[in-house]
Amino acid sequence: MTNAHAQLEALGDPTRRAILEQLLSGPKPVGEIAKRFPVSRPAISQHLAVLKRAQLVADRAQGTRRVYQVNLQGIEAMRAYLDRFWHDALAAFKRAAEESHR
Amino acid sequence: MTLTIAPVQKSVTVHASPEHAFKVFTEGFDTWWPRTHHIGSSPMKRAIIEGFVGGRCYSEQVDGRDCPWGEVTVWEPPRRLVFAWLISTDWKYEPDRAKASEVEVRFTPLADGTTRVDLEHRHFERCGGAGETMRDRVSAEGGWGSLLQLFGAAAERA
Repeated sequence: MTNAHAQLEALGDPTRRAILEQLLSGPKPVGEIAKRFPVSRPAISQHLAVLKRAQLVADRAQGTRRVYQVNLQGIEAMRAYLDRFWHDALAAFKRAAEESHR
Repeated sequence: MTLTIAPVQKSVTVHASPEHAFKVFTEGFDTWWPRTHHIGSSPMKRAIIEGFVGGRCYSEQVDGRDCPWGEVTVWEPPRRLVFAWLISTDWKYEPDRAKASEVEVRFTPLADGTTRVDLEHRHFERCGGAGETMRDRVSAEGGWGSLLQLFGAAAERA
C-alpha cells in the first residue's frame, strides 16, 4: 500500500479526521484527545494507530503519557537534527570559553 | 488555530563569567562553531555573528562569497542574545523572518562564579511556512478536501 493510499484510507473515517483536526492546534496526550470524543479510549488509541501508520501523526513519550502530534516530517527531521547539533555545539562552546578563560 | 512544535532546549554550565561566556559565544563564535554545520556552496572559512541588533550571522566561504544564515534580533550583553535562524527545512537560506525559527541564548551568573548558558531554538512551526500553510488552508478554506490535498501533496513529495 502506498503512503498516499494509506493516508486517504486513514482519513476516510470521520472520527480520525476529527482527531487530526484536534491535533492541528497542538500536540496532545491520548487522554485529552479521548475526552473530546464519545468513544472509548481504546477506540481512540486504535484510530491514532491507523493515523500513525499512515504517517499523518507522530507520537512520543512524555513522562508516563504518550503525546500525539501532527507529523510534519521535514520540520521534525530538522528539529531532531538540531537537538543533537546544539548538544555538540554547546559542548564545543564550553571548551572554547573555559580554555580562553585560563 | 496555532500549530506548535516543541522547542529544542539545551543548557551548559561554563566555568567563566557571563561577560566572558557571552564574548566567546559571539565575538569568539568562530572558535567553537562546528565546521560540519554549514549550508553554503563552498567550505566555511570563518563563522561570524555581528554584535548589534540587525547584525548578520554568516559564514565566510573559501570561494570568497558570504553565506548568510541568521540575523541578531536581541542584543543584551552579557545576559541575552536572540537571533533569527534563517534556514528552511530543506537547509536553504530563508530571508523571510516570518518563515524562520529563532534561537535565544541566556547567560546567568551562578553563586559559585560559573555561568549557566540556556539555549532555546523555537518556532519551528514557522519553518518554510509549513505550519502557516496548514493553518491557513484548514481555517480559510475550511473543508477537509483542502487538508486532504495538502497531505496528498506531502505524500507525493515524500
